[in-house]
Amino acid sequence: MSKVETGTEHETAPAKAWLMGTAGWLVPGLGHVLQGKWGRALLLGGAVWACFILGFIMGGHLFQYDGSLLRIPPMIGNLGAGLLYIVPWFMGFGFAEDVRLAALPTFEFGWTFLIVAGLLNYLAMLDAFDIAAGRKS
Amino acid sequence: MRHFLVMTVFALAAAVVFGVVAKDSPRDRLLYGLKVFAEFLVIGLVLGWILYFLPF
Repeated sequence: MSKVETGTEHETAPAKAWLMGTAGWLVPGLGHVLQGKWGRALLLGGAVWACFILGFIMGGHLFQYDGSLLRIPPMIGNLGAGLLYIVPWFMGFGFAEDVRLAALPTFEFGWTFLIVAGLLNYLAMLDAFDIAAGRKS
Repeated sequence: MRHFLVMTVFALAAAVVFGVVAKDSPRDRLLYGLKVFAEFLVIGLVLGWILYFLPF
């Protein structure tokens, strides 16, 4: 009698994968650096860091929840940058919508870049997780 | 920064991440990254012209 595949077995990720994913989220590129994937770290981390820094240079600001539900989606995007979001949050820096910055022609590009930096880092974080879990080479 | 330059930088960053994450071999990554980069630029320019002619 042949064995029937039930499809109920679940692949579990090792603790290392969660650690690398968390490291990659906290510091963009760190999840790959810790696994010796220097090229990927440079490309993925570099893209995230560049977006984040350019976002501030262009006059952007970070989002936080202030009672308005519309602030939550961009905040989730910003949060993807890990410590790049958390540190300014604790320091109270980068969240104010300064009138002078808002007058810049690149103001909206700025906060868009800051959100995209976080979203791209979510992808980089998942990549670091998958590599550590053995799902990718 | 000029708007087109900003769009190009945005497309470059997104294309790099998409290319590295989505494909396995270096050649596939490069090709996919170039494709994503070109798509961002072309679609951005097309949308820009469409919006230019809209009266609202």
